[in-house]
Amino acid sequence: MEHIQKPVKDTARPRNPLMAWFDVRKRRVGSWAFALNRLTGLGLVVYLLLHLVVLSILLQGEAGWDKFITLARHPLFLLMDVVLIFGILFHGLNGIRVALVGMGIGVRSHKTLFWILMVIALVALVISAVMVFTI
Amino acid sequence: MENQIPEDSGTAGGGFWWLLQAISGALLILVLGLHMFAHHFVVEGGLRTYTDVLAYISNPLIFAIEIIFLLVVTIHAMLGLRAIIIDLEPGKGLLQLTNIGLSILGVLILAYGIWLALTLQSLAGN
Repeated sequence: MEHIQKPVKDTARPRNPLMAWFDVRKRRVGSWAFALNRLTGLGLVVYLLLHLVVLSILLQGEAGWDKFITLARHPLFLLMDVVLIFGILFHGLNGIRVALVGMGIGVRSHKTLFWILMVIALVALVISAVMVFTI
Repeated sequence: MENQIPEDSGTAGGGFWWLLQAISGALLILVLGLHMFAHHFVVEGGLRTYTDVLAYISNPLIFAIEIIFLLVVTIHAMLGLRAIIIDLEPGKGLLQLTNIGLSILGVLILAYGIWLALTLQSLAGN
């Protein structure tokens, strides 16, 4: 008689899919990439809305915009720009991997692809950070 | 590295939405790159002055590129939010409500962005 083994469920892992994002136990890089992709995506949606709000300052005329430019050149603001660029780079480059793998391209080498893209992201982030603080 | 992308992630309603998400993402890399470069990296101080912004948006080609950027980023963002909500395994009714809510939000973002760009263009003309 054939013995059918039932799939083993990890009962310790949260059943709520959202909570499972943040459950780091026994997680591999792919899980971190998945969770970070979603988190950066959410952050970028919030930024999209904020960006529209900020651009609305232009409707207040030159004085209002000049005030914003002064604020935007504060080092803390520039640091937030770097965080934003990190989000864009990670989400964009990891998104390329997700799309390629989803279409069946580079499935076997997606680990290598991930690390190559992350090296590109890191180099671009360093260059961008230097530009943000020196332009 | 295991593939952690749930098989049904963002695909409720068919693979069309997943493909649209991927295509809009690819387009975004191009238009967002252009946007960041033109608006921040080649401008002294990283931000255009008030007069420069108005002159910039008054260029019909730039205006068209910015509206395409807004359209692509809004589609990508709304589909991304939908994919996250689908991962939370909503019921049929909640998914339908999500689709309607995100469609309305997307249209509002687009409408406001286009109105803002047109208003700034008219300010430049004065």
